[in-house]
Amino acid sequence: MLRASCPNCGAPIAFRSADLPVKVCDYCHSAVLRTGGNLAAMGKVADVPDDVSPLQLGVHGRVGARSFDLIGRVRWRYDDGAWNEWLAYFDDGSTGWLGESMGRYMLLRQVDLSHVVSDVVKLLQSGFTVMPGTQAMIDNVEYWASDVKKVSCVASEGELPFNSLGLSAWSVDLMSADEHCASIQRAGDEDVEVYAGQYVSLADIAATGLREFEGWPMPAYKA
Amino acid sequence: MTDTPPLDAPATPAAPPAPPPSTVKPVNCPNCGGTVDIRVAGTTVSVICSHCGSTLDATSPDLQVIAKADQALKTPEIPLGTRGVLKGKTWEVVGYQERTDEEVTWAEYLLFNPYEGYAFLVDDGRRFNLGFLLDKLPTSHWGLGLSVDGLNVSRFGDPYPVHTIFVVGEFYWRVQVGETVEETDYVTPGTMLACEDYQGERTWTRLDMLDWGEAEAAFGIAPRRKEYSHPAPHERSPFKAQLFEAWVIGLIAAVTLFVISGMAGSQQRIATSSIDAVLDGPEKTLVIKDVVLPPGRNRVEIDAEASSLDNSWVDLDYSLTDQKTQDSIDSYGTAEYYSGSDSDGPWTEGDRRPTTDFSSIPGGKYDVVVTVSAHKWNGAGASSSTPVTDTSLMGGHGFADGGWGSSSTGGVTVPVTVTVDRGGLFGGNVVLGLLLILIWPIIVLFRHLGFEKRRKAVLSSGSDDDDDDD
Repeated sequence: MLRASCPNCGAPIAFRSADLPVKVCDYCHSAVLRTGGNLAAMGKVADVPDDVSPLQLGVHGRVGARSFDLIGRVRWRYDDGAWNEWLAYFDDGSTGWLGESMGRYMLLRQVDLSHVVSDVVKLLQSGFTVMPGTQAMIDNVEYWASDVKKVSCVASEGELPFNSLGLSAWSVDLMSADEHCASIQRAGDEDVEVYAGQYVSLADIAATGLREFEGWPMPAYKA
Repeated sequence: MTDTPPLDAPATPAAPPAPPPSTVKPVNCPNCGGTVDIRVAGTTVSVICSHCGSTLDATSPDLQVIAKADQALKTPEIPLGTRGVLKGKTWEVVGYQERTDEEVTWAEYLLFNPYEGYAFLVDDGRRFNLGFLLDKLPTSHWGLGLSVDGLNVSRFGDPYPVHTIFVVGEFYWRVQVGETVEETDYVTPGTMLACEDYQGERTWTRLDMLDWGEAEAAFGIAPRRKEYSHPAPHERSPFKAQLFEAWVIGLIAAVTLFVISGMAGSQQRIATSSIDAVLDGPEKTLVIKDVVLPPGRNRVEIDAEASSLDNSWVDLDYSLTDQKTQDSIDSYGTAEYYSGSDSDGPWTEGDRRPTTDFSSIPGGKYDVVVTVSAHKWNGAGASSSTPVTDTSLMGGHGFADGGWGSSSTGGVTVPVTVTVDRGGLFGGNVVLGLLLILIWPIIVLFRHLGFEKRRKAVLSSGSDDDDDDD
């Protein structure tokens, strides 16, 4: 845990992870970039909309033997909608993403490209478009591209591994014949990144610290 | 986010003790100014104003009007905002659309729960289905079948177009009246897998049929009347459980019947006696005396056997006379055997061993009187495989003895053996009882088969692999 003050407004900010360079100030919504011991305000980030999501920063969950907290969030937009990606900070210091789209949740971790065999990577790398149905083998699980879209980051909060300001990317969703799912993305001219994992329910991850809503019974998941 | 956490607070800010927010956000329709309740802010993409029918873009901050409309909207049977509990989970109706495949029209409610996400409630006018979007791809299993979640479904009919003809409320996709998708259905009783293709994208929805009245009770609408004349392709036969029950009960009853008929006692031979009838000779009488029947009602069976008959018959008159009361019960039998040949070839006809039944004979001592008279038949084309020994044709020479005795009258004799049996059951009655027992199972079976046939009947003119037995 690193405590500091926001270079823009002076409010206290805390970095939970030493590996995450960006923190959005809770008060002035400046993206604060940490390089070594220096903090720099990179500009204002759009506030995340008040959406009807049961997730919020601080939600605690569990997958297998590992538990995690949600410490950051990026909101992505595309022509036909938007979704949230919550940064999960695991108790071993590693990170993953809990994607939240259309009321469904995907818990994904980054996969090294050496574990991926797919035309999707090559196509995105060379700037071509990907057709739905294109196959991929990721960690020996077979996937098919189900959705291909151009996305842009519209808002963020909390701690993040990158500066999401003005970020846009090509995003490919992949499905499998079981609970496995994956996402392959390429932002701008960056390298292609592959994330793989599973569809989960809030019960599956025994989520606690969820948002309450008026008139809706809060589920009590057993960890 | 919200408030300022104190400096020494843990990095995860605690939820402020304010009252929890509502999931419903009222906004004003930019077209008509009416209040539109946004129920799933952040995920909703399209909103159809329930006052003017305009389609609004929920992804734009100012709710841009995508399609202006000015029409009085119908209200769904389950109004938007209604909450109900299905399968132990609370759902709120957030969207409603009516769709048609050009043959039938049905309604689809979009349900939402902030912790569970979305579900569909599909109303075909008869029954309701609860649907969920699949997040895994079905695997093909054989032929036209698919497999998902350990469930095997087979394709039903051909792909067909589905048009959206009415929408109101909000949806997490861009919905519009007039939009057409291509749907392919896969079914197994109780479940349908609907595959929708739209502009290169494919979605799979699993629909599970709810019990009669389940959705109506959950959302507070009038229950639908049960009717099975037009079942859905994935409807469970209501007769299937009955069928099992009816056959189990039927088989138990049948076994019981056989046990009882076994207990009714097997037949007991009381008497047997023989007499030689003479072909075209005088009547002969055989008396079996002192046939004892136990108290109660008895079944008596008299069998006659005249195995040497050939193109001849024997009339047998039976009379059972109670020695005490002199009441007599009469009956008769005929033993006969004919053979010959015609344009169709050789033929034979007749029964050399007639059986005559007497039922409900009171107990007592009886004399059985059998009167026999044998006759020769000379029909057209009649042939004698064994020469009928007629002495007039034999030039006066009789057989030494070839099984054919020569009676003193010079006629040919026909040996007739008569046996009297008591007890046992009328086979006919057992069969009748069996039929009565099996009537219900058979009726249920036919109902079930009829239901299955209607279920598998494809409405559209598409070919169907399942049944083409018309």
